[in-house]
Amino acid sequence: MTELTKVVMRLDGVAEAHRLDVYEANGGYKALRKVLGEMKPQEVIDEVKASGLRGKGGAGFPAGLKWSFVPQDHPGPKYLACNADEGEPGTFKDRWIIENNPHQMIEGCIICAYAVGLSHIYVYCRGEFYEGKRKIEQAAKEAYEKGYLGDNILGSGFSTHLTVHTGAGSYECGEETALLTSLEGGRGHPKIKPPFPASEGAWRKPTVINNVETLATVPAVISQGARWHAGMGTEKSKGIKMVCVSGHVERPGIYEVEFGVPISAIINDLAGGVWQGRQIKGYFPGGSSTPVLPAEKVDVPYDYESIAEAGSMLGSGALIVFDSETDIVRMAEVITRFYAWESCGKCTPCREGTRWMLQIYERILNGGGRMEDLELLLSICDNLEFKSFCPFGDAAVSVVRSTVSLYRDEYEEYIREHKVYRRRFTPVKH
Amino acid sequence: MTVSVQLHPELRKWVEERLSRYPTRRSLLVPTLIQAQKYHDYASPGLMQAVADLLQMPASEVMSVASFYTLIAKHPVGKHIIQVCHNVSCYLRGCDEVIARLEERLGCKVGETTEDGKFTLITVECLAACGSAPVMMVDEKLYENVRPDQIGRILAEAN
Repeated sequence: MTELTKVVMRLDGVAEAHRLDVYEANGGYKALRKVLGEMKPQEVIDEVKASGLRGKGGAGFPAGLKWSFVPQDHPGPKYLACNADEGEPGTFKDRWIIENNPHQMIEGCIICAYAVGLSHIYVYCRGEFYEGKRKIEQAAKEAYEKGYLGDNILGSGFSTHLTVHTGAGSYECGEETALLTSLEGGRGHPKIKPPFPASEGAWRKPTVINNVETLATVPAVISQGARWHAGMGTEKSKGIKMVCVSGHVERPGIYEVEFGVPISAIINDLAGGVWQGRQIKGYFPGGSSTPVLPAEKVDVPYDYESIAEAGSMLGSGALIVFDSETDIVRMAEVITRFYAWESCGKCTPCREGTRWMLQIYERILNGGGRMEDLELLLSICDNLEFKSFCPFGDAAVSVVRSTVSLYRDEYEEYIREHKVYRRRFTPVKH
Repeated sequence: MTVSVQLHPELRKWVEERLSRYPTRRSLLVPTLIQAQKYHDYASPGLMQAVADLLQMPASEVMSVASFYTLIAKHPVGKHIIQVCHNVSCYLRGCDEVIARLEERLGCKVGETTEDGKFTLITVECLAACGSAPVMMVDEKLYENVRPDQIGRILAEAN
């Protein structure tokens, strides 16, 4: 039986864990006290580096390394942007952290701010997270009152502030440079890198951007040590990950496991297997932005390298399972529509390419597809990928390319038989 | 020229309390427009002009930014906003039936407002609650594992 390894979710089931007194009673803010009392900033960065902690928002970039890119001697303010703009379809872990254990994220933010010397923390929270926003604001208020935030934190001489900033419904704003543009009061358009945010980020000042889950892991890394964290998982994917399982399984939910567990074990042991006694047809290992893997590849170990070798990506940790009855073409249309409508419109290949692909999907589902549409889709994918400022366009082609190659017969059936998908409602962009 | 509306004093206060937390005034633009909808019906041209004056930036830029974000209503909307997820995890677990039932009960299509002005129905992208798909929100309240037969009760609750 596959075991859960609860680190970020260690207070799962503890009543009122979002309250400061409950969090403190369970060892909360001990890591911050340790850092402020016993460790130099560089030692904190070294510890996080040694732990092998990788960013959990999608890219998997080593967190300690990211922190070390910020110039120490830079005059003027430096910032931390905590990315709570969770929007990758299939991902719902950050919402859990924010609503159930916001202090763990805040503690991680303060530790990061101390290590890198950041004067202000902006928590960029999704506009739709009304409850989450209230929870972080309440938690921040408690932390200010207790002296964990503000000037001269716990008498250490270190000061940092925290502000909750709300988004307003844009998937693109989860991309780090677009998040910064949005924070500055603009349309959520990405910026070209370099310069990387570590040297020139929010308001052109050095900025660290980390995902909620990454920051919420930091207190545990400090309390229990880099060696403990590095001892979990695999050689290159160290530690644990909150896996969000959704789609056609009996028990969808968040399961925190060590890297390296077989994906089939997560689906079958933890999520109760495919629903209604059906067979698995395929799955997205890391959200809608990652290529679909077929049923035969369900035993792949859950870590960055193994999933990459299997032809996909671990992404944000969203495991979306679909069963043998699934209409692949319609599912791919749902996702393509999402990319077409959420493309920020800055770069032509992405703006035009995603809409063109959606038009082709609509044509196929309306019974008017042409056989050459499949080659056309693949050709658009080639012209879209790696041709924009941010990885949005690369994400948009994943589902198209992988489903056309894995389930080509289903596309051909639609086209050959002029099959019409019976819509229950007409999607409208607003 | 657009005539700016009088901003609600609470909104003005809300903005002023937060200005010191940002290096520039315009950084508060998106949160201000969201907050403004608590006091004003929607982000009308007059409201955007007033926000532009308050944040000392061109009104055209406020409108450009407002037009980018889904949660900022640029047209009059109903008293309650219903957001239903139509993305992949919800699709796999039957959101199409939920949306169809909503259209039927409300007597309006996705993107429209009911004749009595009570509800605006829109579909949205992933609400980050895929573990309990299909999901929908009525104003700030999230409903999980929604079945079509629950729609009547959910609408009655909001009324």
